[in-house]
Amino acid sequence: MKPNLSQEEYIIEINHVSKDFTIYYDKSYTLKERLLFWQRNRSEVRHVLKDISIKVKKGECLGLIGQNGAGKSTMLKLLSKIMYPNSGEIVTRGRVACLIELGAGFHPDMSGRENVYTNASIFGLTKKEIDKRINDIIEFSELEEFIDNPVRTYSSGMYMRLAFSVAINVDADILLIDEILAVGDAAFQAKCFNKMKEIKASGVTIVLVSHSLGQIEQICDRSIWFKDGAIEREGSPFDVHPYYMEYMGNKISGTHENKQNDADHADKESRWGSREVEITKVELSDAAGEPKGVFKTGAPMTISIHYTNPGHITEAVFGFSIFRVDEIRCYGANTHIDRFGNGKIPLRPQGVVTCIIDHNNLVAGEYWLDTEINREDDFHYDFWKKCLKFRMYSDIGDAGIARLDHKWEIL
Amino acid sequence: MNSLKELYAYREMIFSLVRKDLRTRYKGSVLGFLWTFVNPLLQLIVNSVVFSVIMRVQMDKYYIYMFVGLLPWIFFCNCLQAGTTSVVSGQDLIKKIYFPRLVLPIATVSAAFMNMLFSMVVMFGALYVSGKGITDQIIYLPLLLLLLYSLGLGLTFVFSACNVYLRDLEHILGIITMSMFYVTPILYPISMVPERLLKVLYVNPMTPMVLAFQDVLYYQRAPHLDTLVIVIAYAAIALVAGYFIFQRLQRNFVEEL
Repeated sequence: MKPNLSQEEYIIEINHVSKDFTIYYDKSYTLKERLLFWQRNRSEVRHVLKDISIKVKKGECLGLIGQNGAGKSTMLKLLSKIMYPNSGEIVTRGRVACLIELGAGFHPDMSGRENVYTNASIFGLTKKEIDKRINDIIEFSELEEFIDNPVRTYSSGMYMRLAFSVAINVDADILLIDEILAVGDAAFQAKCFNKMKEIKASGVTIVLVSHSLGQIEQICDRSIWFKDGAIEREGSPFDVHPYYMEYMGNKISGTHENKQNDADHADKESRWGSREVEITKVELSDAAGEPKGVFKTGAPMTISIHYTNPGHITEAVFGFSIFRVDEIRCYGANTHIDRFGNGKIPLRPQGVVTCIIDHNNLVAGEYWLDTEINREDDFHYDFWKKCLKFRMYSDIGDAGIARLDHKWEIL
Repeated sequence: MNSLKELYAYREMIFSLVRKDLRTRYKGSVLGFLWTFVNPLLQLIVNSVVFSVIMRVQMDKYYIYMFVGLLPWIFFCNCLQAGTTSVVSGQDLIKKIYFPRLVLPIATVSAAFMNMLFSMVVMFGALYVSGKGITDQIIYLPLLLLLLYSLGLGLTFVFSACNVYLRDLEHILGIITMSMFYVTPILYPISMVPERLLKVLYVNPMTPMVLAFQDVLYYQRAPHLDTLVIVIAYAAIALVAGYFIFQRLQRNFVEEL
């Protein structure tokens, strides 16, 4: 059944596809409502996808990224023919398996084995084909002992494992996956991920929607960033993701800007001190002095602390700390520890103190910044916890907290 | 043509949905699958008691007459009820996974059809016990069953698709089937119907259908050619029109559900 494709031919062709959704404010399903409230049937047309063209070669692995509502999942549904486009055409060559929903058609009262048959048949497999695969499926799911028990006795993890095993053993030519690699425990997830790589290596074309950029970087050859129903950027994941993260980072810092302007209303728990000297604004910027919320590992980052000093205090200690989002303190320093000047900064009625980090070596992830202005004896004038969130990205996948300068040698 | 080919590729899905329907219908009950036979048997007994003992209808072996008409009718009702809601109740599947949408009504109708076949086992038993037995005319039965299946399927295609857009349909159809029961010659022989009303009865596609079943199983003669032609026409029109209407309407299912 597998179509004979030359290497040059495209297995998926999406030509100028657009999709609109009609959103009814007050949808009426029944005759009575339709007759009585026909004038109330106001609706709005939302353009979910706008003139999208994508071509995918056989064996290629494509990652779709974007914010919620950007149209990624709709694209996947169009590819799987769950929905039809309003205009344009989609050509797919070969069997398409869609892993949007796992365990479709599972019946709790039937045994695992029977459910495998039902579920696999929904993917369009014939009895013979399922017979051939049943052992692989059961083996992959690691549910040998339980396979003849009714599915209702399964834990949710077992349920998903069985469902995933069916889906991944369908032997499709095109595999569409929507955010489902978070199945089961860590060991099973790793197994799934390896299986995906194996499937990819066997020449199956994969389209993957994920918010985990790391996953896409590990498996995909090409990444497409959807923004408001259009393709914002496409190319190698390592080329596209920095732009995407930068965009997302700007959105994050943008929202925190408001919070800063609103210093008086800052959360009491995350900010304390006598306020004799007060932080008015904290800003992160890059080498060019451009304010930013996203930085590349190893690139320079500047922290600027703006303050006012109405009480004419003469000197103070400035400091910052960086926490990972899971509350691990990555780094902290202040002018006293660093013995900058004589440890204390002479104050003016208002001013700015900056700290330049030449190589910000934090690895990819999200971080919180704390800033503080203290007296020499650690009395807090103003301590602002979590005043800013920023994000790091990296073009390589190194792990941990911060990158240690290193090089490899063969001796 | 392509969509029919695809439907064939998904045959296992139809089988497994039918299997699931039949197997889980009586799941948890003590008699389990036996209910499939006990149900029609009890129905037969109740009918014989009410009509032959209490109401004393004068027709020879009236309970057989009625049962022969009732079985295709029950199938027809199931089509219009379970069949009509098949797409809406399968919305979880439809929204999340691709398969030819025709599978859903086909599976529901097929499950109802299987149930009717099981009931027919009881009917053959009754025919035998009553002394009527089975004659050569039984060779017409497969043809009639095929036509009945096509008629039910065709109508289910139309109604299940329309029900997505207008959910009142399932309730409207409930009332229509109830009244249709009385304009189908199941309780009474067609000879009792006044001449001027006959036309009305023939608008009902189930009239010629039931007549043909009665000819073959009760009167044990070849069905009237006229009846047969009308039945074939109804079944063919329903199936073909139903198919195209369904295919036309199914494109927007996901948005509407």
